[in-house]
Amino acid sequence: MNPYPDWLNPGDNAWQLVAATLVGLMSIPGIAVLYAGIVQKKWAVNTMLMAFTGFSLVLVVWVLWGFKMGFGEPMKLGPGILQSFVGKPRSILGTANQGQAVIPMLDGAMPKFRFSESTLAYFQFVFAAITPLLFLGSVVGRMNFKVWLIFVPLWSTFAYSINAFLVWGGGFWGQAHAGASSLFSTGALDYSGGYVIHLAAGVSGFVAAAVIGPRLNRDRERAVPNNLPMAAVGAGILWLGWNGFNGGDPYFAGTNASLAVLNTNLCTAVALLTWVIWDIFASRERKPTFLGAVNGMIVGLVGITPAAGFVNSFGAMIIGVVASSLVWMSWNWLSRTKPFKKVDDTLGVVHTHGVAGLIGGLMVGVLADPNVIIYLGNGKDVNDVTASGWLWGHHPAQILVQLCAALTIIVWDAFVTFAILKILGLFMKLRAPDEVLEQGDIGVHLEEAYPDETLVTGRLDGVKA
Amino acid sequence: MKLITAIVKPFTVGDIRTAVDEAGVHGLTFSEVQGYGRQKGHTEVYRGAEYQVDFVPKARIDVVVDDDHVDVVVAAIIGAARTGKIGDGKVWVTTVESLVRVRTGERDAEAL
Repeated sequence: MNPYPDWLNPGDNAWQLVAATLVGLMSIPGIAVLYAGIVQKKWAVNTMLMAFTGFSLVLVVWVLWGFKMGFGEPMKLGPGILQSFVGKPRSILGTANQGQAVIPMLDGAMPKFRFSESTLAYFQFVFAAITPLLFLGSVVGRMNFKVWLIFVPLWSTFAYSINAFLVWGGGFWGQAHAGASSLFSTGALDYSGGYVIHLAAGVSGFVAAAVIGPRLNRDRERAVPNNLPMAAVGAGILWLGWNGFNGGDPYFAGTNASLAVLNTNLCTAVALLTWVIWDIFASRERKPTFLGAVNGMIVGLVGITPAAGFVNSFGAMIIGVVASSLVWMSWNWLSRTKPFKKVDDTLGVVHTHGVAGLIGGLMVGVLADPNVIIYLGNGKDVNDVTASGWLWGHHPAQILVQLCAALTIIVWDAFVTFAILKILGLFMKLRAPDEVLEQGDIGVHLEEAYPDETLVTGRLDGVKA
Repeated sequence: MKLITAIVKPFTVGDIRTAVDEAGVHGLTFSEVQGYGRQKGHTEVYRGAEYQVDFVPKARIDVVVDDDHVDVVVAAIIGAARTGKIGDGKVWVTTVESLVRVRTGERDAEAL
């Protein structure tokens, strides 16, 4: 008897499952308690329940049709980008998921996977799941809970699966288009989701916030967090969970995974410190703040995400400084201009994920280093697989490819988010009624985050202990 | 001298502070309290069990004023606290016999 098929490598399989679990922990409890700690006390329960339900909804969608839409056989919808826009929806519920994982469009362009399809599907699921949870931060504090339950599956199907296929499933932006122009001799580079996940979340969250409408004025004026230590727990889980996020994306437990993990932590540390320094010298009060540092941390994590295994560690530090500085300016200055001032993006996701993901993605075009080896060649007829940007690879055209891929994601996700919400809005109220918003968690769920037993008169169902 | 006490909805405290200040009285005390009146409590459900919560969070405002300011300050508080819905609260006035400023030892009107 043999526990392993010949193609399976226990080390790769183990790392991929651990990496997936780390990424899952970023969502629950990571995002759930980070956001629950940052929102007002009266919205903590609602925030956590939206996170846990979102995670669950995406897994159901993922196994029924989403995974194959992102990573399966292409659906030929027409010429050009439509030829490789999305995969054919198929479920993966049969026992075939025990077989060797394969992404059909990338077969031959990378080493064969050494784990099964169920490993790949679960690993990709946790990325699909965290994306709606990120833009939850934009709409929390007023979105109708029932709309959330319908919106998440639709968004995951029509926005996320397509983002994933376009960039990671071997779709249009995963391919070179040298025939169209020599500038497009390479595909877009997105190591772990600077575009597919973070730019997507920032854009979708911002559009959703605009369509759904703002929180109560009273809540916006008193939007103080209720539990900073809980936010610290969530933020820490995010940071270390990111070792799976970026360390898992080479799909092999090799040297590129190691470099991606080191780069991720390095960029994040630099970005956190950069934000703190900006706070000390340029904020209105000239004081370093903890929640500012958490913003800087997230910007570092997001900024390195598209780049982690494409850049050298010096490049990782540059991304940390640049992304954190630009997003600090976006957060503090751009946010006071239209349309950012008008749209009520509750936790500023458009800055910390949208702007940061875009900057990270563009900087891959600048900093991708051809000496960083993603997959080894054989020293003869098969070359090492590497990526080249402007600075170290003398390939400035990559910046243009990165920009065009970003624009595709921005336009498509903004459109899909807008369309889904406008259609749902015909049938149901996107925003909870004001009297429910005044009550918060008690109005929506009959629960509150910190119940006070001294105020309880008794049990209504009369059960005696 | 009178003590004006108001029990109001917590979110009106900021507006009350502004209104009292504009009425010419520069100082008040506020505390978080729990109580019940005509406004019903609510139920909460934890792990399938339904609990009755009969107390409602309220803010209590205390402000001592000279007799000339009583009417204007009461009007200011009511103006800022009224939403027209059940649970807006109550305001009452009591007589204060004497008052001392702790730092200086000034008494009564001088201490206001």
